[in-house]
Amino acid sequence: MKGSQDAVHRRGSAEHAQNMHEVAPLSPLSIVSLRKTYRDPMTLKPFTAVSDVTFELRRGEIFGLLGPNGAGKTTTIKLVLGLARPTSGSVLIDGRDPSDPNARRRLGYLPENPCFYDHLNAAEYLELVGELFGLDPNVRRHRSGGLMERLGLTPHVKKPLRKYSKGMTQRLGLVQALLNEPTLLVLDEPMSGLDPIGRAEVKQILREERSRGVTILLSSHVLAETESICDRVGILQNGRLLEVGAIPDLVRTGVREWEVVVDSVPEETASSLREMGHGLESAGSRTVIRVAEGTALQEVLARLTRLGIFVHAVEPRRETLEEHFVRALRGSQGAAL
Amino acid sequence: MRPVLAIARNTIREALRERVALIAVVFGLAMVLASQVLAPLALGEGKKIVTDFGLAGSSLLATLLAITLGTSLLYKEVERRTIYSVMAKPVRRTEFLVGKFLGLWSTGAALLVVTTLMVLAVLTVAYRDTPWVLAGSLALTLVEIGIVTSFVVFYSSFTTPGLAAFFTLTSIVAGHFAEDLLYFGTHGGTSAFGAATTVAYWVLPHLSVFNARGLVVHGVPVPPERLLFAAAYGLLYMGALLAAASAIFERREFR
Repeated sequence: MKGSQDAVHRRGSAEHAQNMHEVAPLSPLSIVSLRKTYRDPMTLKPFTAVSDVTFELRRGEIFGLLGPNGAGKTTTIKLVLGLARPTSGSVLIDGRDPSDPNARRRLGYLPENPCFYDHLNAAEYLELVGELFGLDPNVRRHRSGGLMERLGLTPHVKKPLRKYSKGMTQRLGLVQALLNEPTLLVLDEPMSGLDPIGRAEVKQILREERSRGVTILLSSHVLAETESICDRVGILQNGRLLEVGAIPDLVRTGVREWEVVVDSVPEETASSLREMGHGLESAGSRTVIRVAEGTALQEVLARLTRLGIFVHAVEPRRETLEEHFVRALRGSQGAAL
Repeated sequence: MRPVLAIARNTIREALRERVALIAVVFGLAMVLASQVLAPLALGEGKKIVTDFGLAGSSLLATLLAITLGTSLLYKEVERRTIYSVMAKPVRRTEFLVGKFLGLWSTGAALLVVTTLMVLAVLTVAYRDTPWVLAGSLALTLVEIGIVTSFVVFYSSFTTPGLAAFFTLTSIVAGHFAEDLLYFGTHGGTSAFGAATTVAYWVLPHLSVFNARGLVVHGVPVPPERLLFAAAYGLLYMGALLAAASAIFERREFR
């Protein structure tokens, strides 16, 4: 009896899985074996900007596309937007080719170092953007008013865009990217040109958009900023995707070393600690001792206590995304050699 | 259609803020001055000279405006990457190009209408006569400016402003002499040269169709059938050029 029940359950599960497969939601952005080769117009020498890049975005996540200058981040974004055509491979936005205008109807885009029509003011520019998105004038006015307020640009709504500072232009770029209430946001270096307060505000906005279910693809080389908001990252170098994954999965989650913050250490003790392989750095009136292992930490702490040196703090240090990034790039360079 | 109109409106706005109105004012002043200087020298033909000079001037002005403004505006869009934000919206490249064309044509047309009205005003004040037959010439020149603008858009879709301006000017000059070219090619040249000039004759715009100044300076109205033919021919020519420009622009990559 139980065996037949299990069989029914298994068959039901299989049908359910099949149904699930049939109605599986499309990825907001799917990139498969993407390759882009340009030819120098003078020499006709080919140059591969993006090579065999494959990744998929999950709905409602912030995905960071990281890489040094010239890694292929902006080219990948141009391919996503249909500004350039792939040499091979495919890009699909909600299952549609980017050249289809409908694929871009719920897409918001902030270019790197944005430049908007400087003969317009912000209100006129947002009116143009609203018309390009086919928004009703009342809806557009309501949304642009709210977004301008949210990004602190309301006092500058009638100011000509040529008089906007870099930070203000960046904020306006975000306003126009959000005007159509996008389901996919593509941001090329969104923190560029912003002061610390501006960066914090933008990060807050991106978190809010994510909580609304918006999928965000952002490129950046400011890794500390990326680490604090991205759910997953992809590391690009020389047009190739080295790694894709959640940040905790990529970085070494274990403790890399321990930082012991103490008052000044007598020279004799300092030399001895250095001989034992620990690093010492002065930080103002204090000294930071870097200890690589937990067992060694116990010995160091016991010794400091014996010597009557006051220990202010003991902090574990884990690998940051930046350290992982550098390691990944060096590893790739090493492999290439 | 909505994105096309939005882009056209933005192009007009940009052109107006490039001090296009100033050109019209300068033209008006030049017309008043010219009518005062030329009239006594023309032995009673002052009115004809002012009309001919005025209409030719306004046509030339609109042509130069279409070329200078058109080639630089399209180039600036790509150079300054303002086009990136526009093309990331649900806008087809063809819509962008047609919007630009309509905006530029409207600007050239507005300038043409204003300067023709100035000619009319000068004639009314200086000669106590308002020659409404100028409207026929204006209508033909409006179509001609449309063709010039479509050439600008076509060449700008794949080349630099300097080259686009040069190619447009060459096409316009050749277009004005299309019939002469055919005559020389088929009378006395080799058969290959004759065939080449025949092809050129059919490819080049027949811009002489749009020049009715010879009629209107004598107070003769432009026949309606000529207006209709010119309009149909002009619209077809513009359509063909824009289709070619669109096919090129669709394949263009933004680096």
